[in-house]
Amino acid sequence: MAKDIEISTSEAKFLVEALKQNQRLDGRGFDELRDVKIELGRDYGDVTVSMGKTRVHCRISCEITQPYEDRPFEGLFFISTEISPMAGPQFENGNNTGEDEIMCARIIEKAVRRSGALDVEGLCIVAGSKCWAVRADVHFLNCDGGFIDASCIAVMTGLLHFKKPDISVSGEQITVHSIEEREPVPLGVLHIPICVSFSFFNPEDTEENIKGDSNNEIAIIDATLKEELLRDGTLTVTLNKNREVVQVSKAGGLPMDALMLMDCCHKAYKITETLTEQILSKLKEDSEGRNKYAAMLSSENNRQM
Amino acid sequence: MIEAQVSVLDQVDGSAQVTCGTTSVICSVTGPIEPKARQELPSQLALEVVVRPSKGVPNTREKLMEDQIRGVLTPVLVRYLYPRQLCQVCFQILESGEPEQEHSVKELNCCINAAYLALIDAGIALKSSFSSVCMAVLPQSSEIVVNPVTQQLQQSNSTHLVAIQVGQGGQKAESVLLAESNGSFDQQLFLDVLSTGEKECIKVALELRKIVENKIQKDFVWRG
Amino acid sequence: MSRLEVYSPEGLRLDGRRWNELRRFQCSINTHANAADGSSYLEQGNNKIITLISGPQEPKLRSQMNVNRATLAITVNITKFSKMERSKSSHKNERRVLEMQTSLARTFEKNVMLHLYPRTSIDVQVHVLQQDGGLMGSLINGITLALIDAGIAMYDYISGVTVGLYDTTPLLDLNSLEENAMSSVTLGVVGKSEKLSLLLVEDKVPLDRLESVLAIGIAGSHRIRELMDEELRKHGKKRLQNASS
Repeated sequence: MAKDIEISTSEAKFLVEALKQNQRLDGRGFDELRDVKIELGRDYGDVTVSMGKTRVHCRISCEITQPYEDRPFEGLFFISTEISPMAGPQFENGNNTGEDEIMCARIIEKAVRRSGALDVEGLCIVAGSKCWAVRADVHFLNCDGGFIDASCIAVMTGLLHFKKPDISVSGEQITVHSIEEREPVPLGVLHIPICVSFSFFNPEDTEENIKGDSNNEIAIIDATLKEELLRDGTLTVTLNKNREVVQVSKAGGLPMDALMLMDCCHKAYKITETLTEQILSKLKEDSEGRNKYAAMLSSENNRQM
Repeated sequence: MIEAQVSVLDQVDGSAQVTCGTTSVICSVTGPIEPKARQELPSQLALEVVVRPSKGVPNTREKLMEDQIRGVLTPVLVRYLYPRQLCQVCFQILESGEPEQEHSVKELNCCINAAYLALIDAGIALKSSFSSVCMAVLPQSSEIVVNPVTQQLQQSNSTHLVAIQVGQGGQKAESVLLAESNGSFDQQLFLDVLSTGEKECIKVALELRKIVENKIQKDFVWRG
Repeated sequence: MSRLEVYSPEGLRLDGRRWNELRRFQCSINTHANAADGSSYLEQGNNKIITLISGPQEPKLRSQMNVNRATLAITVNITKFSKMERSKSSHKNERRVLEMQTSLARTFEKNVMLHLYPRTSIDVQVHVLQQDGGLMGSLINGITLALIDAGIAMYDYISGVTVGLYDTTPLLDLNSLEENAMSSVTLGVVGKSEKLSLLLVEDKVPLDRLESVLAIGIAGSHRIRELMDEELRKHGKKRLQNASS
């Protein structure tokens, strides 16, 4: 990611040489994701995602505002992905015009917002005058590669976990009920996009890559910071459980064979399935923890079929 | 009262996550590093303070907090030890624990205590220890509540934050670094707040000291 | 606006093309011989793009200098009058444009032999006079032509095209009406190979359809490469004749 970190030639050579011998520095396989740890906070919509040393915090919030004039039936949804120097001294505060920062912000934007993961029409309160504005603030705490993947998981888990206060409308008058007063309502999430990033390395010379037929390029999943700094190209695939490609971004870098890219997409789908499962089970666990008495109070009983 | 973890981040020189009731802040310190030309001070350490809110974009409220924190840190850092260098101190509020539009004492309190631990973790020279405490004065009874909860904050006539420089191994309060008050109160009440603040700050300083002791014990395990 | 029939049952598109037909493709190089070291003018359908290249030259700032290879900088200027409705903003610092610039720079960095020009900078300026869908592909084609005109060493052509997916039919080289109506895939293909330097998918595409979309995209890009090659050879012949006569 960062430009300012420099890696010595011997270290760089060592990493690539190890890759040629099917080894990664942290002992993972090429297609192996770091363990994803999701922690949910006390409040609704407070999520911390860790992947190895990478740590991303996401906070969802909402307020009532006026909708855009040309879209009176839609609420607003923003995602902010600003990187502060906390993630590493290479990031400058308030200056997010670096290439990687732009790419990260755009990919998250396309994956979550433009793909319609959040039902913005459900955020409308009074057409043309009042609607909910939902914000996702992504805070990058620790940087060890995979920012895009981690923040996508964090934002989606946050959206699924978040609950906005219940409201009642009578004419133009709106009453917002506090969380204590009425059970808050969850957001309408239409699908769960998951980003998977691949990093490409070229073990041979450039000419072999462009002219040759060997297709020996190496593709690894979920690179660490060091691997990210040394890679020749990257591909981020965003998929959801319904086998839909939401977004693909291979913005230049090492030319790769089309079939190999397709192969990457299929690999990414497998990861998408497991991660979606993990997110949903974590959320279920959390909601059970919050409503300890729900099972006891429920009138549901085990029917014998 | 204070829960803290030190060295939680590894891309920065020092870091601390401090949780105080429902308020949680993570602080990172990077330095001394090379500054940009416009930040550079010819004879002393330049300080860059960044506060990022948990929700929304930073605005004047966060700028004010940055300024207050800078006021606390500047006198305790041994600035002349690092001429033409920069120290970046970054705060990320994870959980605000107070109504953000009206108050900022709890966040500020957490930030100052987190900065102390993170600066020590980064190994930046300090002249002395410091700690802070936040208080609210309830109406009618004029009772001073230390570490108020949201409800008490909202009811209170005034809120106060006191940061004190602590010397002699966390035993003696030396001088006031920051006294920030909001609301209506009289002189006598303010003096009461200061003396309560002094006592509480020493308590906090001792707690912080214990955390530092634990950290050093862990760091120097190899010494046997 | 009434709902347009993007693809009729007879297999015709809005502008009368079949699914696998490209738009009119015209290009010329060395159009601004006095203004830049390399230049091209490209019309792909209604996209009209001027590309100017200056360099390899001394970098303007010392800090931009790389002792091992040339630095490639690309600026995309989308003019305010490039669409039917005049836009108010100049698009200059929009994230979308910054992303385009980054993607283009990263695409060409791996294809230009930058190591042959150490301590220099190559500046590419692209002016979009008119846009009508599939902009990213046209930008790639324009830059490829201009780089060749500037005589900068490259491994191969990079040709770009946008492919859409309408229901189950892939449509080659979208115009803006089609682009708004369906999800699109932009490819940047290296030479005659099947290697992709750039691949952008925007909006949902079923995973199992992606392969057929890529296949038609690659075929279309190869055709564009041929068209560019033809024009270049024609231009080369003309210049040789002028030189000898």
